[in-house]
Amino acid sequence: MLAIDVEKLQKSFRVQKNREGLGGALKDLLRREYTEVEAVKQISFQIPQGEICGYIGENGAGKSTTIKMLTGILVPTSGKVEVGGYVPFKEREKFVKNIGVVFGQRSQLWWDIGVIESFHLLRKVYRVPENDFRKRLDELVERLQLGELLNRPVRKLSLGQRMRCELVASLLHNPAILFLDEPTIGLDILVKTEIRDFLMGLNKEYGTTILLTTHDLQDIEALCSRVIMLDDGSIIYDGSLEKLKSNWSKGREIQFQFAHPVKKEQMDSWTEGLNVQWRPENDLTAKMWLPHSVNVSEALSRVVGAAEIRDIKIFETNTDEIVREIYQSEKVSS
Amino acid sequence: MIYLQLFWEYFKNYAKTRLTYRADFWIEVLSDLLFQGMNLIFILVVFQHTQSLGGWSQAEVVFVYGYFMIPYGIFTTFFNLWNFSERYIVKGEMDRVLTRPAHNLAQIVLENMDPPSLIGSLVGAVIMAISGAQLGLSFDFTDFLMMILLVLGSVLVYAGIYIAITAIGFYSDSPTGIAPLMYNIQNYGRYPVGIYNKVIRFVLTWIIPFAFVGVYPASFFLNMDSGHNSPLALLTPVVGLVFVTAALLFWNHGVKRYRGAGS
Repeated sequence: MLAIDVEKLQKSFRVQKNREGLGGALKDLLRREYTEVEAVKQISFQIPQGEICGYIGENGAGKSTTIKMLTGILVPTSGKVEVGGYVPFKEREKFVKNIGVVFGQRSQLWWDIGVIESFHLLRKVYRVPENDFRKRLDELVERLQLGELLNRPVRKLSLGQRMRCELVASLLHNPAILFLDEPTIGLDILVKTEIRDFLMGLNKEYGTTILLTTHDLQDIEALCSRVIMLDDGSIIYDGSLEKLKSNWSKGREIQFQFAHPVKKEQMDSWTEGLNVQWRPENDLTAKMWLPHSVNVSEALSRVVGAAEIRDIKIFETNTDEIVREIYQSEKVSS
Repeated sequence: MIYLQLFWEYFKNYAKTRLTYRADFWIEVLSDLLFQGMNLIFILVVFQHTQSLGGWSQAEVVFVYGYFMIPYGIFTTFFNLWNFSERYIVKGEMDRVLTRPAHNLAQIVLENMDPPSLIGSLVGAVIMAISGAQLGLSFDFTDFLMMILLVLGSVLVYAGIYIAITAIGFYSDSPTGIAPLMYNIQNYGRYPVGIYNKVIRFVLTWIIPFAFVGVYPASFFLNMDSGHNSPLALLTPVVGLVFVTAALLFWNHGVKRYRGAGS
């Protein structure tokens, strides 16, 4: 069965045009001009139950707008949207019982009182029976190690602690579909890993369908079997992450810091025969660019064997870079 | 019934939050009462200079004022929506509200409730009792039931007007100056409308019916021979229901236009 079914979904906003200067402001007062901005343009995709799907794209690509239409917050301009068997904006109150939503930038917990009080209130709002609630809460608290945090007011929690509490809050009613809008934004690597592991477990055990937006490619790598990429309101890629990477990211970059000054000719000579490119940054540092076809360890060993190295850094292409590359190349295909 | 349970839960959370800021609580109660007290003193000062106001004696005007304080206190307890546009629309907190399985307006009302305002209602009841005694009014059980019905009606009138005004936030990008304007107009309803000219009386009765939160329903309890009993008093619950229904339709339509904020 499909958890999410979207067809030719469209959302346009009417934005008031502001004319320049005082004269323009006066003209605006008398006769307003509007422009239609299409935030989401005729997108279609289906997500089966139990899938974890990553939804990526640059800022302003239309990710949040889509999520807001899928969660019933926004009413689409046109097109069909069905989530968990409901049309989200039509039977909103019934529909939202089956979904959980976490907006990374916004809290759903009460600021001044203990976290547990917020949970109790949500239990009432979602009408979860006391027994189910207890069982569920104990399990979530144990998995996310929240034990001693429960009685602390939200304002005294760190971002990582708060985010874990947000997750619990969105899962107390055991939703079939979970929407996460940048759930790992601003978190340290430990908490990120913890949250990823938790989501993975949730998906395995309960078959929860998860749709998440993120700018962190590692979130996608750790979790998602599928990626949907959005650019300027249209889907430009829908498929596995592997394919996306091999299609679009052409390689990686390694930065070396040498002990002694090195010339570009020397560098080129070390890696002769390998299809790599050198870009010196100053006398002591240089960047080597490798396509995916080149073996990293071979390239590394050649350089390490030839020169004295102080430091090495490897740069993986991240989502934004891939998006940018795709955007710049304008080779739109799906 | 679920909303009654929710009310209790929200109230508990409100109390917990408030108990952490105790001084704040008492200052708010005090400033509320001072504000009402000023208005009352104004009435008393006016009657230092005249025996009657459009045929109304001091005790009668104070009685009307006491009545007005009861629905007003209940209204401010629940419809504390002054910062709605900024908090829920501009900052986008409406997102959170819309992803929860309870009516969005009910959630907003409960999130913002302000029970200390109810103390104003109590004071209003005391003022009514005192001035009622001065006027020699008798209260029997039917009057008591009528009181509940009329106060409910008045609260609905208030709620209807302010829900509609708040809902304008969904249609207009920038917060409008209409709420402060209303806040001033509502003051007219707590004095006998007979003292105003025809146009204002018409507006206060049928357009922005603030007369139904004060003088009309209060007149029901005045003595027959005072000549102030308004036949419109019994219309209060009807006007309340009509306005609240219209306002809810306007609100629900507005929610569909909600655009969210930023990211």
